Order: sequence, then structure tokens, then C-alpha cells
Amino acid sequence: MIKIKNVTMIYNGGKPALEDINLQVDRGDFLFLVGPSGSGKSTLIKLLIRELVPTKGEIYIAGRDLVHMRLRKVHLLRRDIGCVFQDFKLLPNKTIYENVAFALEVIGKSERAIKIQVPEALKLVGLGGKFDRYPGELSGGEQQRVSLARAFVNRPPLLLADEPTGNLDPSISMEIMSLLDRINKTGTTVLMATHDREMVNNLRKRVIALEHGKLVRDQARGVYGYGD
Amino acid sequence: MDMATRPFYFMREAIENMRKNFAMSSAAISTTALSLFLVGIFLLMFFVWSSFAVETLSKLEVEVFLKDSAAPKQVQNFQNKILSWNEVKTIKYVSKEEALDIFKEKLKDNPGILQAMTGNPLPSSIRIFLKDPHQTKTVVNKINNYTGLNELVEDPKVDIKYGADYIEKLFSVIKMIGWMGLSAAALLCFASIILVSNTIRLNIFARRKEVAIMRLVGASKWFVRWPFLFEGMFQGLIGSLVAIGLVYFVKVWALRKVVETIPFLNLSINEALFLRLILGMVLGGVLIGATGSVIALRRFLKV
Repeated sequence: MIKIKNVTMIYNGGKPALEDINLQVDRGDFLFLVGPSGSGKSTLIKLLIRELVPTKGEIYIAGRDLVHMRLRKVHLLRRDIGCVFQDFKLLPNKTIYENVAFALEVIGKSERAIKIQVPEALKLVGLGGKFDRYPGELSGGEQQRVSLARAFVNRPPLLLADEPTGNLDPSISMEIMSLLDRINKTGTTVLMATHDREMVNNLRKRVIALEHGKLVRDQARGVYGYGD
Repeated sequence: MDMATRPFYFMREAIENMRKNFAMSSAAISTTALSLFLVGIFLLMFFVWSSFAVETLSKLEVEVFLKDSAAPKQVQNFQNKILSWNEVKTIKYVSKEEALDIFKEKLKDNPGILQAMTGNPLPSSIRIFLKDPHQTKTVVNKINNYTGLNELVEDPKVDIKYGADYIEKLFSVIKMIGWMGLSAAALLCFASIILVSNTIRLNIFARRKEVAIMRLVGASKWFVRWPFLFEGMFQGLIGSLVAIGLVYFVKVWALRKVVETIPFLNLSINEALFLRLILGMVLGGVLIGATGSVIALRRFLKV
């Protein structure tokens, strides 16, 4: 699903944010990306959605060459990747229904299909009765569930989550986590960057750790492994 | 999904966005309206001025007053000669009787003067209309050089009437005001474009995060662009309609006021020209709105 080969990322002549990263993720995998702040987790995710292009190395997602991809093809890549962020990134002027529907409108789904799929996705994340609310009227946990619904409503093969539980209470974090797990069970590859020690330790999934831009650990059924 | 398959989707999005960003879009609309109003009023004033200038110029004529004793045969020869000159468009012979009629018509509110008049003291005349008023001097010279002039005219200095000095001055003033008007209009247009595109830029800057999110969930550049493009066009359209309404109000109301105060100024506006002004304002508004949006969006689409 994801293949990263010798990737180095340097921002405007500074120190490398990522250095010589190699990573292979298979279809249907679930992996945690851990590491202290500034270790390069977010940079790695930005590289995967091609918000950034690596200084050196190669990146492939589902056979697509991200390094040589033209800017006007990037949106096609992103349709295959669902994204969840710490700050939710919902459109503030659209209702939660419209927010989720937007991901389908963008790819040209018919209105009929949208009317079926959006309520389905919102019910799955437990927001069945709140279609007409705006993101600002919802709690953080609810907003993150909307963003989850948007991320998987078109059944992408890959789901990236950048600290999706970073702003949420532990109990709500567990809910989000179990939703991600359910999505993973349907065959979607999930990569989740996180600071949540307990969650990583409890779930015993594959764990990769970054430190100072270097990949220092890649462990099947791993643990969080930091003292902080 | 693209423009060809679902244009109404994008228009609906645009209208929806305008509604939800009401403060921002009203700012853009009122800026456009005000700018176009200023440009429109200015052009309107320019039209009035130039039609006034054209009319004044077209009224310039040379009139030769004839002695009562001039022989009809010689008058005819003189007329034929004048008509043969290239500069002359047409001439009109005004007989003593016609001159009296015109005089009576002008003084119909003052019948006392007419009653005091005995006989017909008015001379007959030849009115000469020129193709180009700039050639007045040339024609006057030619008349002065006409060989039989002494038998037709009492005193050439008095009886050949034309605008003399003031014509030259009028020409230079008309030219100067024309140039000043055109450069001021160009400057005003330029300022308006900057003003409107800055407002749009602020509007889009405020929504740059939205643009980034749309790109993040897989929207193509044009998918993001179309609603903004329509939004800009709608704002430009509404702004220009408001401006046209104001300009129309000024045209009807203020012009009438001016004519009431200074009745001898025959101010008028060519309707076809006014229609073109309206169309130009609509087109200008829509164009500025559309291009302003697309240009302002460029920076934020590079993700």
C-alpha cells in the first residue's frame, strides 16, 4: 500500500526533518506512528498526501509515484486517502451532512448515491440525528467523528490520521479509536500518528517510532515505549 | 464532476457561500457598486460634455448679410460659387421675409417691440454650413476675396458674421477637456480595479483554510475555482446593477435639475451611448469580479 524508499526531507536548508526513511506498509495493515513532538510525524503524513515533496527518495502509494506526480493530478491521489487531523479540518460554513457529502461531490458521485452513503457514514460514527448542525455547534469528539465519517465515506483504501485524539478526552479517544479499528477491519489500511501511550500499549498493533527525523523502531505488536 | 456536467451545482455553491459570508460579499458588492458608480457618473458627464461640444461645433456657421440693393442674379452667382467650395456642406438663403418671421418668432413674448417696428428693416442673408467647423477661417477668407463682394455686402467686417476669436479658444478648450476627461476616466478605472480586487483578495484570504480543506479531500483545482468564479461574477453583477441604478437616477434627476437652472444649455445624452455605458458597466463588473477571484485564489490553490 505504502512504500517509502530512502526518503529525506529538508525544509529550506535547515536540519533534515526526516532522514533516510524506509517503510513498507501492506494493504489492510494498522500501524501507529509514535515519537516526540518535532520528530517528523506530521512531515511524514504531509509527504503521504503530497502536501510536500521529499528532498530525496521515492514514495509510492497504491502504485502511484508521488515524487514525480504533477500538481494537477494530486487531487486524484487524495481521493484514495481519507484524512483525519487533530484540528478536524471541517468546512465551517457547511452542515455536518454537507461536510461529509462534499467528499463525495468532489469525486462526482450522483446525488442519489450521496443521499444514501452520507447518512450511513454519519450513523456509523453515532451522529445520526445531527445532520443539520454546523461544526461550531458540536463538541470536539463529535467534530472528530464527522471528520472520520468524511474520511471513509468513499471507502478509500488508505486512511491517515494525524493525532486524531490529541484534543479529546480519554473516553472519547477510545470511541474514535474503536471506530478506526472498525474501519481497518473492513480492509482499509490505517496509519495513525499519536501521542496516546495507553492506547498504543493496549492495542498492540504495529508501531513505528521516529526520533529526530530518523526511523528508530519498527515493531509488530509494539508498545509506545517512551518515558514522557 | 466538472462544469460541463453540473454547472448548477457550482452556481448553487456560489450563492450559498455568498449568503453564508454575507458581510464579506456585501463588502465586495458595495465596493464594486461604488467604484462602478464613480466611473459611470464620470463617463456620463464626459458624454454630456462631448455631445454639448459636438452640438456647439455643429451650430457654428458663417452668415453673410446682403445689401437690399444686391441684384438677384449676382446673389445667385455668389451662392453658386460658395457651394462649389470643398469646405462647404450646404447653404441656406434667408430672405428678408423669412428673417422677419424668425425675428417675430423670437420676440413673440414681447409684442410691443414688433408693433413699434415699421416695414422690414432686416436684411436677407446667406447662411453657410461647413463640413468641418475648423475651416471657418479659410471660408471667411475666400468670401473676403470674392471679386463682386462690394456689390453684395455693405461692410465685410460687420456683415460677414462668424465666431471669430472664440472659435479657436473653444477648439482648444474642447480638446483639453476631452483629454483630461479621458485620462481621469482611465485613472478611475484603474483605481476601481485595484479596490475591487483587493476586497476580493481579503475575502478569499479569509477562506484560505476552506480552500486547503477542499483540496485535502480531493477537490480538483477547478472544482474549488468554479464556485469562487461564480461568486465573483455574481458580486460583480449585483454591484454593477446597483451602480447602474444610481447612475440612472443621477442621469434623470440631476440632468433635469441642471436643465431647469440653466435652460439655454441644451444638455442631452444619446440613448444609444447610455445603453452602451450600461452594458459596459455590467461587463466590467462581472469581468473584474471573475478575474479578481481567480487571481486571488491562485496562491491558495498551490496545495
